[in-house]
Amino acid sequence: MEAAEVSLREDRGVGYAGRVFREIQDIISDTEGKSGAVIRVLQQAQGLFGYLPAPVIKTISRDLKIPLSEVYGIISFYHFFSTVPKGKYVIQVCMGTSCYVKGGQRILDALKKERGLDPGGITADSRFSLETVRCLGACGLSPVMAIAGDVHGKVKASRLNDILDSYK
Amino acid sequence: MVIISSVKELEELKKSVAPRFRVREDTDFTRFKSAPEINIRVCRGSGCTGSGSEKVSQTFEEAITERKLSDRVTMIGTGCHGLCEMGPIVLINPGDTLYTRVKAEDVEEIIKSHLLNGRIVERLVYHDPVSGKPIPNYSDITFYLRQERRVLHNNGFIDPWSIEEYIGRGGYQALAKALTQMTPDEVIAEMKKAGLRGRGGAGFPTATKWGFVRSAQADEKYVVCNGDEGDPGAYMNRSVLEGNPHSVIEGMAIGAYAIGNVRQGYAYVRAEYPLAIETLSHAIRQAREHGFLGKNILGTDFEFFIDIFPGAGAFVCGEETALLTSIEGKRGNPRQRPPFPANVGGGLFGKPTTINNVETWSITPQIILGGADWFASVGTENSKGTKTFSLVGKINNTGLVEVPLGTPIGELVFDIGGGIPQGKKFKAVQIGGPSGGVIPVEHLNTPVDYESVTALGAIMGSGGLVVMDEDSCMVDVAKFFLEFTKDESCGKCTPCRTGIPKMLQILKKISQGKATLKDLDVLEELAEMIASASLCGLGQTSPNPVLSTIRHFREEYETHIIDKKCPASVCQGLFRAPCQHTCPVELDIPGYISLIKDGKFAEAYYLIKQRNPLPAVCGRVCNHPCEFKCNRAQIDEPIAIRDLRRFVADYAFSNGIRYAPEVKKQKAERVAIIGAGPAGLSAAWDLALEGYPVTIFEALSVAGGMLAVAIPEYRLPKSILKREIEDVESLGVEIKLNARVDDVESLLSDCYDAVFIASGAHQGVKMDVPGEDLDSVYDAIEFLREVNLGRKVSVGSKVAVIGGGNSAVDSARAALRKGAREVHIFYRRERGDMPAIAEEIRAAEEEGVHLHFLTAPSRILASDGRVSGLELTRMKLGEFDRSGRRTPQPIAGSEYVVDADMVIEAVGQRSDTSFIKDAQIQVGRGGVVTVERRTLATWRQGVFAGGDVASGPKTVIEAIAAGQRAASSIRRYLQGRELSPLVERDGYEPIAVSSMLPSDEETKERARVKASEINVGLRKTSFKEVSLTYRLEEAQEEASRCLRCDLEVGG
Repeated sequence: MEAAEVSLREDRGVGYAGRVFREIQDIISDTEGKSGAVIRVLQQAQGLFGYLPAPVIKTISRDLKIPLSEVYGIISFYHFFSTVPKGKYVIQVCMGTSCYVKGGQRILDALKKERGLDPGGITADSRFSLETVRCLGACGLSPVMAIAGDVHGKVKASRLNDILDSYK
Repeated sequence: MVIISSVKELEELKKSVAPRFRVREDTDFTRFKSAPEINIRVCRGSGCTGSGSEKVSQTFEEAITERKLSDRVTMIGTGCHGLCEMGPIVLINPGDTLYTRVKAEDVEEIIKSHLLNGRIVERLVYHDPVSGKPIPNYSDITFYLRQERRVLHNNGFIDPWSIEEYIGRGGYQALAKALTQMTPDEVIAEMKKAGLRGRGGAGFPTATKWGFVRSAQADEKYVVCNGDEGDPGAYMNRSVLEGNPHSVIEGMAIGAYAIGNVRQGYAYVRAEYPLAIETLSHAIRQAREHGFLGKNILGTDFEFFIDIFPGAGAFVCGEETALLTSIEGKRGNPRQRPPFPANVGGGLFGKPTTINNVETWSITPQIILGGADWFASVGTENSKGTKTFSLVGKINNTGLVEVPLGTPIGELVFDIGGGIPQGKKFKAVQIGGPSGGVIPVEHLNTPVDYESVTALGAIMGSGGLVVMDEDSCMVDVAKFFLEFTKDESCGKCTPCRTGIPKMLQILKKISQGKATLKDLDVLEELAEMIASASLCGLGQTSPNPVLSTIRHFREEYETHIIDKKCPASVCQGLFRAPCQHTCPVELDIPGYISLIKDGKFAEAYYLIKQRNPLPAVCGRVCNHPCEFKCNRAQIDEPIAIRDLRRFVADYAFSNGIRYAPEVKKQKAERVAIIGAGPAGLSAAWDLALEGYPVTIFEALSVAGGMLAVAIPEYRLPKSILKREIEDVESLGVEIKLNARVDDVESLLSDCYDAVFIASGAHQGVKMDVPGEDLDSVYDAIEFLREVNLGRKVSVGSKVAVIGGGNSAVDSARAALRKGAREVHIFYRRERGDMPAIAEEIRAAEEEGVHLHFLTAPSRILASDGRVSGLELTRMKLGEFDRSGRRTPQPIAGSEYVVDADMVIEAVGQRSDTSFIKDAQIQVGRGGVVTVERRTLATWRQGVFAGGDVASGPKTVIEAIAAGQRAASSIRRYLQGRELSPLVERDGYEPIAVSSMLPSDEETKERARVKASEINVGLRKTSFKEVSLTYRLEEAQEEASRCLRCDLEVGG
C-alpha cells in the first residue's frame, strides 16, 4: 500500500496526490450525505484513476465514515471494481451465452496465443488488459469484444491482430 | 423549456408534432419520386452502433448538407429495429425501404441511386436467408410480418432523444388520463383486468404486486425499475431504454400514482449499458424540463422524481432484494423473505417498494391508454399480451422480436428466425438464461407462455432465446451456465456457495470422460437439494440448466460417461481432432492427410486401412460427418476429407500397394456372418485378423450388400468394390454366395460358435396408395438391385420417383441413364428437409432431374392395366414433429395429375427378418432385431446383430463401425470374457506422422479443391463414374489446408 502512495507522488509530481484527493472529497460532498452513496462514489473514483488504489479507498472510508472492511467488502463483491491498475486499453471479451455459442472462447485462446494475455492480466507494456464480461447486450453481433468502450462484433480470431494494432 | 402544465397543452404539442410522422408511415414506394419530403432513419441501437452506424449517420449528414438537400430530406437516429445482426440498418420513406449492413462508403450510392433517382440499391436490401430473394419493403419481411410490435412500436420509429417525438406518438397521454380521469384504485383495476404478468422472469401479476404495496401502511413508498438485465443473450430491456426511454418514465409515474405515497423512483441500470444509462438520463432531464417529473405534474398535486442508479457488475443484483440492498450502498446480498419488498420493513430503506422490469413499466402506459381489453386481445388464457424476446445464437435472423405469448417456439426459430445457418441441424433452444433450461426438437410445438415453458423444466425468464445447433454439447452448456452462477453467487448461503462448485466438479469429470453413471445420480440429487434449499432465486434456479439438459439429453450425458465420446465434438478433454472424434470408426484423419502432404501415400493407405477396411468405397459414398465438424470451415471451407481418402485408396490400387496386416494364430472357434454388406465385411475383417475362421452367408449372387445392389455404378464402380472385398477374402474369409440362411439356430448347432446377423434392410416400405400393385410400379431398392445386377429393366419415358433420400436420388439418376426421357422426384417436404447427400441432389439437378416439393401421391392411375399417371396432393406444413421438421398435411381439394408411365417408390426401407425363426431373438417395430445398444448382443447367447438390421436404415460408415463393435463383442464372448460397451480393437502398427503445424501461409484463406466430374452430357447416357479422383497435385494442395487440430488440442 505504501508503494502506491509513493508512486502517485513520484510519477506525476508532488501536489498531484493532493489534487486528486481533493477531487474525491468533492465527489463525496456532492452526494449530500445521501445514504447508500458509497457505490457511486467508488464508481466515480475508479473513473478518475482507472482503478482503486489503497489510499483512495482509505480516504473514502474515512470521509464517508464507513468501516474500511465494509468498503473492501463492497469492492470485492462487484466485478467492476479493481484494486489493480488496468491497461491503457481495457479489452473486454464477452462470454455471454450467445457469444459463447458463436465461438467467444476462440477469441480468448487467440489473445493468449498472440499477446500472452489471460483474463485479469495485463500486457508487459501496460497497453492492454483483459477482462471477461458476461454480456454486453450486443448479442446480435456475437462474438463480441469491446476495447476501451468500442464494441467490435463478429470478431474472427484471424483478424484479432489487426484490431489490436489499431490501438496505439 | 416549456413546462406542460395541462392536458390541453399536451394535446396541442402532440398535434403539432404528429404531422412529421406521416412520411415515416408512408409505405408506398411508388410515391417516392414525387414525394415532397423524404425521411431517413439510421438505427443507433447498441448493435448497429457496434457495427458503425455513427459513421453512417455522419456521412449522410455531410452529404445532405453538401448536396443542399436539407429542405427535402430529414434524417434521424432511432432505437433498435430488431434485425441486429444485419446492422447498420437504414430505413427510407416513403416506401419503407430497409437497407442492411450499410457502410459509410455505401451512402454515396444510396443518395445517387435511391434519393435522387428513385432506384433501390438491391444489393443492400434484406435477402431471405433461405431463398436468397431480395425483399426491399420492411413490411414484407417475414421477420417483421409475424411479429406484433407493441412494446417495441416506437423502437426504430422515433428519435429516442426527442421527447416531442414521444409525445407526438401519444406519449404521456396515459399519465394525463390516469392523473385527471382515474383514481389510483381504478388504475390498478385496469392493470388487473389486463392480466399483465411481470416481464422480468417470474411472471408475477403486476396489479397484485402494486396492490400489496398500496395497502401497506406507510407514508413513504418507492417504485423501482429493474434494468439489471443480466441474462447473457438477453438485451431487450437495453433496447427499450435506448429506443423508447420515456415509456419507462411514464410507466413508473403511473405506477407511483396508482400506489400512492410514492415520491421517488429509482432506475437500476447495469453498468455494462453506458448508452442506456446516458439515454435514460437525458430522457429524465427532458421529462423534468417539461414538467412530467417533479412537483405538480400536469397541473395536479402529484409529484414524482426518478434517479438512476448504475450497477457495478453483479448478476445477483438483478434479484429484487439484492438490487435494493445494492441501492442502499451495500454488498448485493439477497435478503430473507418474508418480509417481502412490498411489505413494511422489506423494501428499499425498509419502506414498501415495488420492483418491476423495464418492459413491464414500458407497456403500462399503453395499457392505460389502449385499455385492458386491447392488451388482453392477444396471448393465452393465463399469459396475456405480447413479450419481447432476443433470438440469438445459431440463427439466421439474429435480433429482437416481439410476439404474442403462446406463439409456438418452432415458429420463433424457423419462421421468424429464418432457421439455422449453413444448413446445420437444430438441437435446442435455451430459454431463461442461467436460470432456465433447454427445449429440444421434440417440443418445438410448445407455446411460449409461462406455464408451458415451466412444464418442460425451463423458465421463461426475461426472454433470452439462445438457439443451439448440432455443434453444441449439452454437457458443455450445463457447465457453461454453472461457471456463470458460480462466479455470480453472492456467497451468503451454503447450498449455492458450496453446492454449485460441487455440481461443476462432476460436470467437469463427465466432460473429461472420467465419470461413472453413479456420478450422474449424485449430480441429480445435488441439483434437487440446491434448488430447494437456496436462499434466493439465483441459487434456487442454478440447477435448472443441469436438470433440464439431463432430462432432455440424458443419452448425450451417457455417451460421455460410457462411450467417452462427445457427440458434438466440443468437450476437448475427450478428443484431439473433431473430425476423427465424429467418425464412427475414429479414422486418423489428420494423420493420413499429413502423410498425403508429405508424399507418403503408401503409409497413408496403411493408416486408413487400419481403421477402415473399405476406404475406396467410403471415399466415394460416405456421407462424411467429419467434414461438418472440420475446424477449417471457420476460415474458409471444410477439408475435402472424403475425396482425399479416395485419392489414397485409388493411388494404392493403381500402384499395386497392398495392405497385408499380420493375421494372428488360427483359433478353433468358428464364426458365421449373415450378409456380406459393409457390416458383415467389416466384422469379418476384424475377426479374421484375430485368427477366427469366418464364413459369410450371402443370399444374393453378389457380395457387398447395399454397396453392390443399391448404390449405382456411376457412384461406385463394381471393380472398386470387388477389389476391396477381395482384400477381405485374402485374410481367409469365406464368402458363400446364393446361400440364404433359413434359420439361425441351425448355424449354431452346426459348427459355428457365434453368429453375427448383418442382413441389412432390403425391403421397401409401401406407400399404401391405390394402384400400387400395377406393373411398372417399383420399389426403389428392388429397382436399383435389378439395375445393378445387370438384369433387364424396362424403364418408362416419364418416370416419377417418390421420396427424398439417397435411394430416391439414386433411382432417379439410374432411371435417366436407363433411357427415361423425363424423370421427376416428388417429395412431401421441402428441399432443406431431404435426407439425401447434398452433392447427390445437386448432381441430379445438373443432369436434368426435376424436383418437386410439398407434394405427395394419393393415387396411381392406370389405363389398359398400365401406369398412365400419378395423382398428387399438395402439402402444407403443419406442426413440428419429433424430428424438428414440420409435418406435411394434405391441402384438401388440391389434387392434380401428372403423366407418368413408371413409378418408383423410395419412401423407406425395412428388414426382412423372416429367416430368424428363433423366438429368443426378438424382432421389434420396423422389423429391426432387438440388441443391447453397445454390445450388439441379442437375447440369444452367441448371436449378435448389427448394421441396418438392428439400427434401422443408416449409413455405410455406421454399418462398418457396427461390424467392428460386433467383432469386439464376439471376440470377448468366445474368450469367455464379459461383454463391454467399449469397442476393443488393438494391434495397430504405429505409423510415424509429422507433427509440424501448418505455416501461416497455409492457414490463409483459400478455396477448397474441387474434384473434377465428367461432363453432364456424358453422364446422362452411361453408368461411367461421375466424379473423378484427385490428381496428385490436387490432393497435396488440399491436404496442405489441414489445420492439424490433433496437434493443437491437448498438446
